[in-house]
Amino acid sequence: MPSIRTKCFQQVEFADSCLFRFPCGLPGFEQERSFVFLDRPDSHPLMFMQSTLTPELCFFLLPVFAVSPQYRLALDEEALADLQLPLTSQPKIGEDILCAVIVCARGNNEPPTVNLLAPVVVNLRDRIGIQVIQTQSGYSHRHPLVPQREMALCS
Amino acid sequence: MLIMRRRAGESFLVGEDIEIQVIQVTGTRVKLGISAPASVGIVRREVQITQNENQTAARNASPRAIESLLHALPALAAPSTDPAPCQDFDEFSNLGVS
Repeated sequence: MPSIRTKCFQQVEFADSCLFRFPCGLPGFEQERSFVFLDRPDSHPLMFMQSTLTPELCFFLLPVFAVSPQYRLALDEEALADLQLPLTSQPKIGEDILCAVIVCARGNNEPPTVNLLAPVVVNLRDRIGIQVIQTQSGYSHRHPLVPQREMALCS
Repeated sequence: MLIMRRRAGESFLVGEDIEIQVIQVTGTRVKLGISAPASVGIVRREVQITQNENQTAARNASPRAIESLLHALPALAAPSTDPAPCQDFDEFSNLGVS
């Protein structure tokens, strides 16, 4: 079984089914074309998206429905083509694709946020991923992870 | 902020060598053509926002942060409401940049 040096867990073995190609990288990380998705029982439901190129690069993810059960994902034809999915229908989250949001832990006692504007979407069958910017959705890039009544939804 | 009205086919200049032309206006969408030197970076606003957010997320994704996140997560068991749309984004979603 292949193994990888990680930012948070030192050396970790992984199954091939956890390795995903990102042909375009991610915005701000265009050179990062391959990530291993790690899911550890003691950290559920957090997932870890570890770069295979850069051991110091890891993103924390949460399944979008854990954060926003009513979340609506709308993939345009370009996104569907990038994911090598049929252009004629929207894929089912949890069956055809995984849809997860990047968690931003922040510092200085600021509460953690998630980026609902730009979820990470991966084709589970072909193991291809992209970060999709949902321009028309109205979702925030800094949605509070924990509901905060006193906080505005956008900052 | 400078605000000006332009029709399809009209353009304006930013500095000496950047020209932005309104090519088409359809409903709420505007198609723009941008002529600029190769050295000028052009990026959609929401892409830049995502770049910045990804970089902040990557910087703060430390082993120590896992503990505090897991501490915060049980509150997700009963999320109060679906997030309201963010009004900040209306300004550019209406532009319909494509």
